[in-house]
Amino acid sequence: MAQRNASRRKQDKGEKFMDYSLLFIVLFLVGFGIVMVFSSSSYEANQKLGDSTKYLRQQLFASILGMVAMMVVANIPYHFWERFALLAYLGSVVLILLIIPFGYSSGGATRWLYIGPISLQVAEVAKLGMIIFLSSLICKLGKGVRGNKGFWFVLLSPVPVALMLWLITNNLSSAIIVMGIAVLMLFVSCPDYKRFFILAFITLAAAAAVVFYVVQTAQAHVDELDFRGGRILAWLDPEAYANDKAFQTIQALYAIGSGGVLGKGLGQSMQKRGFLPEAQNDMIFSIICEELGLFGGIAIIIMFLMLIWRLMIIANNAPDLYGALLVVGVMGHIAVQVILNIAVVTATIPNTGISLPFISYGGSSVMFLLIEIGLTLSVAKGIRLKDL
Amino acid sequence: MENRMNQKTYHRSKIVTVFFLCMLVFLGLAARLFYLMVFQSEYYSMKARELHERERSIKAARGRIIDANGKILADNKTVCTVSVIHSQIKNADEVVAVLSDELGLSEEYVRKRVEKYSSIEKIKSNVDKETGDVIRARALPGVKVDEDYKRYYPYGSLASKALGFTGGDNQGIIGLEVIYEEYLKGEAGTILTVTDAKGVEQDEEGEERVEPVNGRDLYVSLDINIQSYATQLALQTMETKEADRVSILVMNPQNGEILAMADVPEFDLNNPYTLPNGMDASAFSEKKRQELLNAMWRNGCINDTYEPGSTFKIITAAAGLESGAVKTTDTFSCPGFIMVEDRRIRCHKVGGHGAEDFVQGTMNSCNPVFITVGLRIGVERFYSYFKQFGLLDKTGIDLPGEAGTIMHKMENIGPVELATISFGQSFQITPIQLATTAASIVNGGRRITPHFAVRAVTTDGTDSQSFTYPVRDDVVSAETSATMRYILEQVVADGSGRNGAVEGYRVGGKTATSQTLPRGSGKYIASFLGFSPADDPQVLALVIIHNPQGTYYGGQIAAPVVRQLFENILPYLEKK
Repeated sequence: MAQRNASRRKQDKGEKFMDYSLLFIVLFLVGFGIVMVFSSSSYEANQKLGDSTKYLRQQLFASILGMVAMMVVANIPYHFWERFALLAYLGSVVLILLIIPFGYSSGGATRWLYIGPISLQVAEVAKLGMIIFLSSLICKLGKGVRGNKGFWFVLLSPVPVALMLWLITNNLSSAIIVMGIAVLMLFVSCPDYKRFFILAFITLAAAAAVVFYVVQTAQAHVDELDFRGGRILAWLDPEAYANDKAFQTIQALYAIGSGGVLGKGLGQSMQKRGFLPEAQNDMIFSIICEELGLFGGIAIIIMFLMLIWRLMIIANNAPDLYGALLVVGVMGHIAVQVILNIAVVTATIPNTGISLPFISYGGSSVMFLLIEIGLTLSVAKGIRLKDL
Repeated sequence: MENRMNQKTYHRSKIVTVFFLCMLVFLGLAARLFYLMVFQSEYYSMKARELHERERSIKAARGRIIDANGKILADNKTVCTVSVIHSQIKNADEVVAVLSDELGLSEEYVRKRVEKYSSIEKIKSNVDKETGDVIRARALPGVKVDEDYKRYYPYGSLASKALGFTGGDNQGIIGLEVIYEEYLKGEAGTILTVTDAKGVEQDEEGEERVEPVNGRDLYVSLDINIQSYATQLALQTMETKEADRVSILVMNPQNGEILAMADVPEFDLNNPYTLPNGMDASAFSEKKRQELLNAMWRNGCINDTYEPGSTFKIITAAAGLESGAVKTTDTFSCPGFIMVEDRRIRCHKVGGHGAEDFVQGTMNSCNPVFITVGLRIGVERFYSYFKQFGLLDKTGIDLPGEAGTIMHKMENIGPVELATISFGQSFQITPIQLATTAASIVNGGRRITPHFAVRAVTTDGTDSQSFTYPVRDDVVSAETSATMRYILEQVVADGSGRNGAVEGYRVGGKTATSQTLPRGSGKYIASFLGFSPADDPQVLALVIIHNPQGTYYGGQIAAPVVRQLFENILPYLEKK
């Protein structure tokens, strides 16, 4: 309430609204991420590279760069981006295609482009590009989105990008996130629930069918399964595949389980000492749980929930549909990614490489997420306080 | 504008729906987290600990072997093993310099190991504790000094074949060390240290120790004084008679406790793999070297059989008296030979002993007398006495590798075989079997089990376990036993065993001279079995001289050895 009163006073003086709650939550998550990246990477970095702060420095650099970009974007009126809608879409496609000749591989997957000294994960660009593209598209369609034609057009337009992400960069998780963003934006734009229920049902049925198929095939011929099929088996019975397919999953469970209620204390993780490979990446949440316990893990979930709550408030009070859709896109992006990450780390769903927003190590990810936050801050600035 | 406001209502409700959907999923994930971190925490913590902890064992001190006087026959010496852990070395040059200097190794040798990329590399084991302490005091990162126990035998080669020795893991290889392994070895402890995935110890995590349980001390009946003297005598006899081997067995005939067991040449227990002097190990193949070592470790009192010769007449006499086939007063006539079927078997006295009663026949060790007695007993009765005396079984002594008796099958024994068995030829038994059977005959007729171990005691003395051994009462009647004691005393007092007599003590005994197989080799075994006091035997000694040069009669060369032994140990045993 205090904040609201303060904002009102500012408004009276003709100042623009700044969502400090959102900013605080994001800065906290980024700062916490930097601490956890250092905690989870320093032991291995020291052992392997003789430089315990290597990942810390890279993450710090990307975060600072990201915050500068965030502030710049926050101060550009968001309608500025409307004219780049098609460019955002086509740009994503071109960048993904550029992976074929110029891509850089790491850990068995080709997902990065090098622009000078900076490596860029094209999936992160594609997620932001899709938010900008779909926001414009839905606005242009207007009421047309409610009809079946508009519905299918919006639903199918991200499919080529998702397919390319999956097939070219071998990044199923990013493809799922892109589709998730699109479905959520479409859900918000259409007044009905029926079609989405059907969609959800079909998705769940398809997932169940895949699991069923994998289990059946596994009983007959294990060799015929690709690595994703193997991951489903590993998910169903991690202990049986503890030394190969489910290695990472099991190690993450050891970390989470051994954390207990209060955790071992910051920096005291044992699993990061070579047992859980690349602990600073996708599985960083398990190290958080090991060091800070159930309290730390729940606290982070609450922080993300508060972040999504702030995004909901901004989206609901956005001056126009375009702004609202931009924020919904960002909200969908963060929500889907957090849910998938924590679900993977806790072995709730099969393992798929997906990072924890703001916290996992990864320059592209944190930079583009901060740019997305910049967009929502820009939208928030347009809010008239009487709408709040 | 109107459009926007129109849309806004359902936009808002749908955005709120999205938020609550997210919240629902987050709640589910939080619940999953709660399940993993509260209910499954113990399980995963245990699994993780198993993964992180490395187990190192702490050796248990092996139990000592202690003689009847409390003297330690087998002890432990603390030695150190020096190793390096590659990943923890800070100053490799200093490590190389210090280790090569302190351990007396070449710099090249040490450097090769220091620079080798391995989790732990042993530099030298069996390092003196003093040297180990010096190296530990230098506190060089990456250098580990682990203490270990090494078996140590204070008396070197004394009773080597009875005591036995231990191998690289401190496990018993031969002798009492292997038979009482279970009592001596103890239980290893463990140190649990936390390591990272590569095995580097995490010091701040500390360590968990499970203390080892030391082995039990084994108290044996061996008496170091008697053993020393017996060994000395055996060595002296082997030298003066230029014999191949001399065995001396001293036991308490009342309960089977072995007081001394010497079988010279013995070997150095502290260097059991060094071949007998003068032999160069490198000159032999691996197999040949092992054969030589096995021969060196062989305990002639237990592992080998021989033809006992006339000492076996004790058994024939006992069987004869017990069965009633002969009485002490029965008279015999020895013309110097006896005809059995078509075979003429000679007496050792070519001219014959003439007329003699059974006692005199025994004193003379007259073969025709014993052949007559043997034939009177008959095959089946004789054989059943062998069984009754325990001759056909092993004695059950607490040493490994006891050899069995090599005896004709009953159905193959004809009169000639029976005749030769009667005076101790044509079959083989171990010295321990002869001594035990003789002891059972003179101790009142109780078959005792020869043994060393008396009790096993924990190092803190809180728990003591005494060993018991089977005793069988029905060997011979007390009367026969008393008669045997009388006859055997006569043998020493005024018969073939008079060289075994000790002034001031009543000694009973029997001599033997047997030719080794094959006959005509010119090799003999001279032996004497004596016991004292003759009316109530407390000590029994058996001396066996293998292949003596010159005089080879048991009565002349073996009996004096027992006399010398008794002259020393009888007063000593009286004092105890």
